[in-house]
Amino acid sequence: MASLGETAISPEILTARRMAWLRFRSNPVALLGAFMVLSVVFCALFAPFIAPYPEDAGNMIDFATRHSAPSAEHWAGTDKVGRDILSRVIFGFQVSLLLVVGVLGLAVPVGAALGLAAGYFGGWTEFLITGFTNVMLAIPPLVMALAVGSVLSQTLVNAMFAIALLWWTWHARLVYRVAKSVAAEDFVEAARLAGASHMHILLREILPNCVAVISVKTTLDAAFVILFGATLSFLGLGVRPPTPDLGSMVADGRQFLPEMWWGVLFPALGIFYATLAFNLLGDGLRDMFDVEV
Amino acid sequence: MASGFVEFLIRRALGFIAVLLVLSMMIFALARVVPGDPARMAMGPAASAEQVQAMREQMGLDDPIVEQYVRFLRGAVQGDFGISLISGRPVTDEILRLLPATLELVIVTLLLMIVLGVPLGVLAARYRNGWADTLLRIVSMIGVTMPAFLVAILLQLFAAYYLSDWPLLGRIHQDFRSFEGPTGFYIVDGLLMGRLDIVGSALQHLAFPALALALAGIGQIMRLTRSAMIENLRRDHVQTLRSFGVPDRIVTFRYLFKLSSIAPLTIMGLEFASLIGNAFVVEMVFSWGGFASHGLESIMQNDLNAIMAVVMVSGLFFVVANLVIDILIGVIDPRIRLKEGH
Repeated sequence: MASLGETAISPEILTARRMAWLRFRSNPVALLGAFMVLSVVFCALFAPFIAPYPEDAGNMIDFATRHSAPSAEHWAGTDKVGRDILSRVIFGFQVSLLLVVGVLGLAVPVGAALGLAAGYFGGWTEFLITGFTNVMLAIPPLVMALAVGSVLSQTLVNAMFAIALLWWTWHARLVYRVAKSVAAEDFVEAARLAGASHMHILLREILPNCVAVISVKTTLDAAFVILFGATLSFLGLGVRPPTPDLGSMVADGRQFLPEMWWGVLFPALGIFYATLAFNLLGDGLRDMFDVEV
Repeated sequence: MASGFVEFLIRRALGFIAVLLVLSMMIFALARVVPGDPARMAMGPAASAEQVQAMREQMGLDDPIVEQYVRFLRGAVQGDFGISLISGRPVTDEILRLLPATLELVIVTLLLMIVLGVPLGVLAARYRNGWADTLLRIVSMIGVTMPAFLVAILLQLFAAYYLSDWPLLGRIHQDFRSFEGPTGFYIVDGLLMGRLDIVGSALQHLAFPALALALAGIGQIMRLTRSAMIENLRRDHVQTLRSFGVPDRIVTFRYLFKLSSIAPLTIMGLEFASLIGNAFVVEMVFSWGGFASHGLESIMQNDLNAIMAVVMVSGLFFVVANLVIDILIGVIDPRIRLKEGH
């Protein structure tokens, strides 16, 4: 009987957080997503050590091996100047993840701060912020990013800036919705009566209630940012060669279709793998926190 | 229609005008921080400093910035965006010439999204966990994991290998290139003039670009239709109908269908923004030669006036599409029409 007592989880220990973790752990799809995301991050961090031909990430040219089909030496074949495509895809994850970190690092805090302020203060603050957010939401993001990208010189940092410029709106809207409903709760009123400052209420009372939606949305967004960045560089407006970006690799490979299919297929699989990873993880987190984004 | 709905529409329209105003300010501000002199660009590298200065004055580039903005806005309202810095022709003429190509593609895409997305969503709701549900999962997954340009390229690759006679590029068979109709829409013109061969060729060329553009939206519309159907199925009046023995088919298509088409319609408005963006990519892959390709070209060549016009026209598209959707929802759902605008 003692062993039974140990395995059974007593109701005191079963906190909301623990339940969420149990839900996540028992969801194979979420675990698969987490594993895939970790593998992408791992590839990006240790690309120089994992890639079979790390020197091919740059401006290497080796015409002897150009356009070779997948083989034992080059698992994913080589591109038009003989660079190993597998190596470039692995380095491409680095570029994609840098973009994700840059864009979301800018957009999420800005959006969350505006959403919090609008939801908590109400009145004119709410009117101005929600109004501005709605206006920005109506701008086709790709068109704006193209325009910004054309104006600024084409570097990774500028691409981040161009994407982040419109990205914060989604987070602002989401956090606003949650913050507004939380701000009406009794414990917020209690904190106010106890003399807590606005800053304290915003950061310690309301923000923790928004963490779940923010983290789910951010994870799902990571996939979108990868897609978006790839689309920009496919059009020749994101990251400049020779930086190995998945989108520009597809654009390069496209010129040699349909004969040299590997030039498109493997970078495309790279995009697919990374976006699928973040989507599965995001869906898993959504089920775990049981939130709507 | 009730006055509440009219008031709601007016408020929406005012909001959309605000959208266009802010958009115009942003794109104008952006155009003024560009490195490089638009006058120099218009004149070419061979022009002398005096000639460039004369051009600067002609273009009003030395005027106060607010004055320049007001001039830009006044022109934009009248559909005048100045001349292209590259071709020297009025920007608006160029856009109007290319607009039908893009509109034809976008409208067919939207139809495809509705025609495929809504019924498949209904089927997925009726036969849960059946084949339609599986299809829904696959299409939604493609929608969130594959950028439109990849879908477009894969479709092209598929056609190249398995449909050797299928046209991969352009809007129409080259024998019909010289064909010109009153509207510029090949399908409409072909029908008007009774040229079914032209309609057929246009449709054949449209199929893959439209599918590539529509795929992401189809997944979303399917998912929304499905969840709306399931939610509405639980409603009292629907349950009452079923308990009276009204056949499932009639319940589904007479009573549930209309009710459940509101959610997907709402999302189409937002979807439209990414549709315009993706049109840039898909037009490029299929050498469509429309408004979006033109925009891309202008962006590549830093043709400022054309870029500003393309962004403004894209914004206008979005705004008009959303207004149309608002009206449609009001027509379908009397609760929104009769209620005070929210």
